[in-house]
Parts: sequence; C-alpha cells; structure tokens
Amino acid sequence: MPDGSFSHPQQRSFNPYTENGGTILAIAGADFTVIAGDTRQSEGYSIQTRYAPKVFRLTDRAVLAVNGFAADGNMFVKKVKQRLEWYRHAHAKDMPLRAIARLIQTMLYAQRFFPYYVYNILGGIEEDGTGAVYSFDPVGSYEREACRAAGAAQSLVQPFLDNQIYFKNQQAAPGQSHPLHLPLSDVLSIVIDSFTSATERHIEVGDGLEMYVVLAKGRSAQGLEGGRGVQELTTRTDGDRVFVIRRELKKD
Amino acid sequence: MDHFPTNWGRPRNDAQDLYNTYPLHQRPNNTPKDVFADGVQRTQQPIVTGTSILAILYKDGIMMAADTLASYGSLSRFKTIQRLQSVGENTVIGASGDMSDFQYVQSILEELMIEEFTANDQNELGPAEIHEYLSRVYYARRSKMNPLWNSVLVGGKKDGKRFLAYVDLLGTTYSASTLATGYGAYIALPLLRSAVEGREDELTEEQAQKLLTDCMRVLFYRDARSLDKFQIAKVTDEGVVISDPIKLDTTWGFAEKIRGYGPQTQ
Amino acid sequence: MSIMEYNGGSVIAMVGKDCVAIASDLRLGVQSLSISSNFQKIFPVTDRIYVGLPGLASDVTTLHEQFRYRVNMYTIKEEREIEPQTFAQMVSSTLYERRFGPYFIEPVIAGMQRTPSGSYEPFIAATDLIGCLNFAKDFVVAGTASSELFGAAEGLWEPDLEAEDLFETISQTLLNAVDRDTFSGWGAVVHVMTKDKVITRTLKGRMD
Repeated sequence: MPDGSFSHPQQRSFNPYTENGGTILAIAGADFTVIAGDTRQSEGYSIQTRYAPKVFRLTDRAVLAVNGFAADGNMFVKKVKQRLEWYRHAHAKDMPLRAIARLIQTMLYAQRFFPYYVYNILGGIEEDGTGAVYSFDPVGSYEREACRAAGAAQSLVQPFLDNQIYFKNQQAAPGQSHPLHLPLSDVLSIVIDSFTSATERHIEVGDGLEMYVVLAKGRSAQGLEGGRGVQELTTRTDGDRVFVIRRELKKD
Repeated sequence: MDHFPTNWGRPRNDAQDLYNTYPLHQRPNNTPKDVFADGVQRTQQPIVTGTSILAILYKDGIMMAADTLASYGSLSRFKTIQRLQSVGENTVIGASGDMSDFQYVQSILEELMIEEFTANDQNELGPAEIHEYLSRVYYARRSKMNPLWNSVLVGGKKDGKRFLAYVDLLGTTYSASTLATGYGAYIALPLLRSAVEGREDELTEEQAQKLLTDCMRVLFYRDARSLDKFQIAKVTDEGVVISDPIKLDTTWGFAEKIRGYGPQTQ
Repeated sequence: MSIMEYNGGSVIAMVGKDCVAIASDLRLGVQSLSISSNFQKIFPVTDRIYVGLPGLASDVTTLHEQFRYRVNMYTIKEEREIEPQTFAQMVSSTLYERRFGPYFIEPVIAGMQRTPSGSYEPFIAATDLIGCLNFAKDFVVAGTASSELFGAAEGLWEPDLEAEDLFETISQTLLNAVDRDTFSGWGAVVHVMTKDKVITRTLKGRMD
C-alpha cells in the first residue's frame, strides 16, 4: 500500500541473522572421535560456495564443528581459538577437552540476550584417553554424549545414528550384547552413509565432506596414514593425533 | 497521479528486495518521541543503490566487473559512479547495495592504508587482510544493529597468490573461484561457474574479459537496475588496473517483434 | 500450530523383491497429549492394496469411507477389482476435488500391481494433501515424522530385499524415525505383501 500516507507506518526492522544450511555430526569411539561436516554454504536457494569449512581443529585433542549462521559461527570459532591461545600462554599446555566444553558454554551464555545463532558440537579425546562428544544449543546448554547430529539435516541423520550407533530398537542375539563402542572403520562408514543420505534428501547438504579423526595417544593410526584424501594435522609428536579425511558429495 | 518518484515503476510490495531504495516518504517514523529519546539515525534501508558485482579467478590473477549506475529506487540517479575501488597495490573491492555506506567504507579503508603506510615497515595489507578487516567492520556494525548495507567482493593477488572473497551487511563471508552479488548471483553466476570452475589456471585474460562482458550484457538485458556502461578491474602480478567505462554493444532488433514493445497495437 | 500436526502420526511404504511393505505408528493425540495407542491409519482397500492415511484424524475416517464408497462403485461398474495404479489415481482425484478446502491427509498407497503377463509387481505411491502423486521406485513416507523417515530410510533401504528382510528394514526405519518425533510413536503396525499373502505384525515401541 504505497499510498504515500503515514496512516499505516510501514515498519521494517533489520534482521541480524540468517541461516546458512549444512549439517554437522560427531561420534565418539573408545579411544577416538570422528567430527564431520559438509562444506556447502547456502542462503535460501542459492549456493554461496561449495567449500566453506564448518569443522575446525582447536588443539591436538579437540575439534569443534559449528553450524547455523555462518558469520556468528566463524566469529565464535575465532574467539574460542583466541581463548585457547591465552590459556596456552598462561599454563604452558593445551586446555583439556572438558574445560573447553565448559568454556564454550560460558561464552555462549554470555550472549544470552543476543545469541550466537550457532549449534556447536565439540569432539576429541578426554584426559583419561576416551573419545568424547559434547553438543551445545545456541545459548550454552550442553551435554556429553557418544554421538550427535546437528544442523539442516539433523532430523534426517539422528534417527539413523540412534539405530546404528546406540543400536536403538535392535535386540542383541541371545547370549550376546551390543558393543559399547564401534571400531573406527565402522564409524567412518556410518558417517559417510549419513552424509550421502542427507545429501540425497536435503537441498542444503552436499558438495564436500570433511571428517576429522582424533586418535588417543598411543593408539595405532590403523591405515589412516597415507589413505585417500587423508591429511594429518597434529602439531606435536607422542600425544593425541588429529587427521582430516576429505570426500566429495553430490553437488546438485 | 503519484507524485513520488520513488514509487514509479515499483512493484506493490518491496518487502523482499533488500538492496533497493526504500521509498523516502514511507520510511518508518524514527523521529525522537521525546527529548530523552535517542537522536541517532540508523541505516534501516538502502537509499542510493548499486546493483550486481561479478568477479572470477583467471590464469594471471582475478578480474572484477561492475556497471557505473547508482539508482534511487527505479530512478537511474547517478550514471557515472565508480563502484570498483583499488585498495593498495594488490587489492580491488567492488560493492553493491547502499552507495553512501560504500563511500564511508572507502574512506575508512583509505584511513587504514595511510595508517599502515606510516608504520614504514615496508609491509602492505594484501587482499586477505583487507577482506578480514572488512568482515570485522561489517560484522561489528550488524552486531550493533546498525549495518552497512552492502554486499562486497574483495579480490587481489599478492606474493603470487590469488584471492577472491565476499562479505555482506550481516558479516557473512565466503570464498570461491567465481563470485557475484545481487541479481548477478541468480543470472550471471551459473554462466560464470560453468565457464570458470576447474579452468581457473587456464583461462586467459582475453577469455576472462569476454566472459565478464558477456555476463554484464545478460545482466543489462534482464536487471532493470543496471546500465550498459561498466568497468572491469584486474589484479595481476603487475598490480591493479581498473578500466575506463566500457559501453556494451547490445542488440534490440528483436524488440519490435515483441507484442506490447514494438509498434503493434494488438 | 499446523493442522497437519494436530493429531500426529506417520506412514511409510517400501518396495522389495516381489513384495511391498507399508507401516504406520499407532498414536492418536491432540497436539502433545496422547489419547490412543491403537489408532488405525492403514486400511485394506482390496486383497492387494493398502492405503495409509496420516494426518487429521477426523479426515482419516472421512477419507476411508470415501475411498470405500468409490472403490465399491468402481467394482460394481467395472465388474473387476481395482488395480493399485488406478486406485492411486482415484486417491489423487478425490483429493484434488477439494483443491481449495483440502482434506488434511497425505495418503500412502502400497499394493501388488497385476502385469499384462498375469504376474504381480510391487507398487507404491504417495500424494500430498491436494493429490499430487509421487510414484517412487524405492520408498515413500508421509506424516509428522516424514523428515526422520526420509533420513532413516535413505540409510537403511536397499534394492531387492526379500519379504522378511523388507519387514526388518521398514520396521527399523519406522521405529527409529518415530522415536525422534514427538507426534508419532506409541507402537506400530507393519503389513508385508507378497503375490499370494499379506503378513501383518503389530510392533511394540517406546511408549514415551
């Protein structure tokens, strides 16, 4: 109604948020953790880029995946990395995983009334050498879990993970029980299957897949070294190790 | 008769077109309600706007294109505005969206480059640093709910490395071998992607220039807020070159065959 | 709150090797309040056709009656049983008749289609609430857990499953999907159809 009058003052307020699509996922094993995300960044129906990482190495034992509003996500990762560097300078060691988790909750809750519109999943190796996954909501509620999916295709991936990782709705053969933790090769297969499925049925998921693998100290790399599309990101020897595996996803 | 030029030729609802001029007389009443009310005016909408920017990687560096129009709603208000700007020796930026906000950004970049120069450490900010700086400026302003209403492309080549990235009013950033803002993202980007992706190291300067010219022509035919005069910037090892305005050669012979456009009455 | 989510419920159908399966949850609710744990959403149409009707519970009854009437009229006029393909078209036109005041149901059809050679091949289809048909070759889903069903089915389903394997696949898909949906669950029912028989099983699921 552009009638030129002030009788219906048209109010348009600036929206400081947007959604940039994509999906992230993390699974903890007994002595390893896999943290993965696709690399598509989109807004509405437009693909902005086919390669925008959502998963970041924080330390040799911690990897953070961020999903939601990309500008907030990148800024949040930047600030977490900065806090971890300050910690390193003050204490001459890397911050332990559970402390990083609490730090992230504090940083998210600090923005309670103008939140980072981001879902975080933190994965890595705990001080006792076990694989761990922490998942957060945008204002900092968090929980340690064995597996979690978040983002655009969360509703597609999480039921599949419940079934394949937690063996939900499955009964073990008589006299046997379900394994508490799966071997790395099985976990990687499940992650790849999850993302190919999500790519098939969700328009905001696709292009590329980055799977970070954190291995506990002393664990054998089990054919990870020199594998197709595998790159080691570890900075120090004889500690926990970080690898990234890159795969293509469908681009349509 | 509607006497407000900002309404002429506009769709009835302009709520969706973020980068367009908001009719001046319909702007929300932001005047102070009492003497204690905050007197600060914030950009809630763009006024004088520029349309698409296109940019690609090619063999020798990066190339960017923009037309020279600054619109006031549907009015072609300023027809010789330069929307591409060199920043230092290795970087070029191009902006769509609000032109006054862009000119403000140009001024703070100039200030920044002077300050860096006075350090006298023979160190110059490259395209990656300029882009990082701009992303912080834009993100900080959106976080103050007082955005700079632009979509900006930053391109350059420094120390043999090509760089191309995007930043907008929300602080959203990304990088790719082909980028476009505004209508260019819908109309030109598919053409650019099919021509450039996977051939970034083979595309010659002539091919790149022809590709961008062809895309600017397509945009001129379909984007009602565009102009047939544009500039092309390139950044190579030799530095930044921004061309003089180029006039597009266009064909309108088909127009008279279109009903309602040519001389036919029925 | 969307009317499609008022009563809750989900249905899925899958194709196997010379067999089809269709399954649904058993919940009836009023928004987040659960009312019944044995609410039927899948109905036999002929010996070789089942139709699942997830959506608004009152329309489940209405549409079921409507389809029963139309199928009976078809049987009388044509003096033969309706085929799944034909029934799918009937579902589609029944819904499109109400294009601007639709039934709030997204039907899923599963059956064994008679081929010209006299054998039977699996057939599945689904439509939206105004009758846009989707003839899928693998699986179709509908209801409040549709996105969960898509994800689980895309991960678990594979081509040419034998009847027993198809039962396991559709059951796992459904149970794990409805467990992540607040509006579906409270038990499930699965029908697996081959050329000469239908096996119906009622499954125990999470009751929360």
